[in-house]
Amino acid sequence: MFEVWDIPINATIFYTWIVMALLTVASLLITRNLRPDVPPNRWRTMLEVIVQGIQSQIEEVAPGPSRHLLYYVGTLFLFVAMSNLLLVVPGFEPPTASLSTTTALALSVLIAVPLFGITSQGLGGYLKTYLQPSFIMLPFNIISEFSRGISLAIRLYGNIMSGAVIAAILLSVAPFFFPVVMDVLGLLTGVIQAYIFAILATVYISSATAPPKPSQPEKEIP
Amino acid sequence: MSIDWITVAAQIANFLVLVWLLKRFLYRPILDGIDAREAKITNRMQEAVLAKEKAQAAEQLHLDQVRALNAKQADMADAVQQEAETQRDALLADARNRLEQEQAAWVAHQDEESRKYAVKLQRAGGGALLSLTRKALTDLADETLEGRIAQHLAKGIAPMVADLRIAAGKSNSAVITSRDVLPPSAKDDLMSSLQTVFPDVSVQFETDVDQPPGLVLRIGGAQLDWTVDGYIDSLGDLMDEQLAAGVDLKVVPK
Repeated sequence: MFEVWDIPINATIFYTWIVMALLTVASLLITRNLRPDVPPNRWRTMLEVIVQGIQSQIEEVAPGPSRHLLYYVGTLFLFVAMSNLLLVVPGFEPPTASLSTTTALALSVLIAVPLFGITSQGLGGYLKTYLQPSFIMLPFNIISEFSRGISLAIRLYGNIMSGAVIAAILLSVAPFFFPVVMDVLGLLTGVIQAYIFAILATVYISSATAPPKPSQPEKEIP
Repeated sequence: MSIDWITVAAQIANFLVLVWLLKRFLYRPILDGIDAREAKITNRMQEAVLAKEKAQAAEQLHLDQVRALNAKQADMADAVQQEAETQRDALLADARNRLEQEQAAWVAHQDEESRKYAVKLQRAGGGALLSLTRKALTDLADETLEGRIAQHLAKGIAPMVADLRIAAGKSNSAVITSRDVLPPSAKDDLMSSLQTVFPDVSVQFETDVDQPPGLVLRIGGAQLDWTVDGYIDSLGDLMDEQLAAGVDLKVVPK
C-alpha cells in the first residue's frame, strides 16, 4: 500500500492501525477526566458496561479474578468486534478478513495459553497437563493444542471472509438491496464472531490454568 | 488465501501494543474508577452504619437523659410535696397553738369580764338595794339608814365592852367614820353610849366616801365594823343560789 522507512505497509496493517487508533483515542478521551470527584458521564458508563460485561463473561468461564486475562481477552474481543463493525464503513477493509491477521491472533492465543498456564501452575505443573490422563496422550495433546489455534484462525477468517465474499457476489447480482441486508447481517455475525473468538480463547487459557481454590471446603457426603 | 508471515508478525506486534494501550487507557482507569467508587460506596455505607449507630447511641443517651430527668423531676416533686406537707403541718400546728392560745386568752378574758360584770352587778345590785332600803326607811319610817345603824350600834356596844376594852388598851380617843355625815341625834346617841362605857375616851366623827354604808369604830388597836358590806358581799352568793335553784330570770313584759 505504501512504505515507511522502506518497510512496505499493506492494507491489513494500515487498517489495523486505524482500529487501534480508534480504540485508543476513544478510551483516552473518555477516561482522561476520570477522577473520583467527577460524576461518571454516559460515555464512561458505556465503557464501564462493556468492560464489566467482558469481565463477567470471563468469570463465567474462568472463575476467579484475573486482570491479565481481562486485558488479553478483552483486547481480543474489542479488536475483532471493532474490525468487524467497521465493515459497514465504505472502503474499509476489516483486518480480520485477512488470514494473516487471524493467523496472528490464533498464534497469540497459542502462545498465551502456555504463558498463562505456566504463570498459574508453574512450568512443571503446566507440562504435566500434556501427560494427562496418560503419557500416551502426549502427541495427541500437542496436536490438539496446535489444532486449536488453526481452528480459531480458520473459523474467524472463514466467517469474515465468507461474509465479504458473499457480499461481493450479491453486489454483482443485486447491487442495491442484498448488500445492505448482508451488511446488517455482517454487523451481527461480526459481533458474534468476536464473542466466540474471545470465549474460545478464554476457555483454552482457563483449561491451561489451575482451577481456583474453593472458598469453602466442600461438605462430606454421609 | 495466503499467509504473509511478515504481516502475521506485525499483527502480533500490533495486537500486543493494543493490549498495552488498552490496559493503559481503558481497563486500568475504568477498573480503578469502579474500585474507587465501590470503595467510596463501601466507606459511605460504613459511615452510614456508624452514623446510624451514633444516632442510635445519641437517641439512647437522649432517652436515658429524659428518663433521668423525669425521675429527678419526680423525686423533686416528691421532695417539694413532702416539704410542703411538713410546712403545712408546722403552719397548722402553729395556727392551732395560736388559736388555742387565743381561745385560752379569750376564755380568760371572758372569765375576767364575767367576773368584773358579776362584781359590777353585785355592787350595782347592792347599791340599788341600799338605795331602796334608804328610800323605804325614809318614806315609810322617816329614818335614815345611818341613823338607825348608829342607834343599833349604840345598843349593841354593851355586849362587846369587855372585848373592846382588851383590844383598845389604854387609848383615850375613839374615831367613828361613816360614808355620809351622821344625823346629830345619831351622833348624840353614839357619844352617850360610848362615854357610858369608856368615860375617859373622847369621840370624833369622820366621813370616808370610800367606806361602805355603815359605821366603823376604832379605839386604840380595836376596830369594830358595823357596815352593810358583808350583806352586799352575800348578795352574790344569794344570786348564785337563786340561779342554781332555777329561778327564771326572763323579764316578763307587763
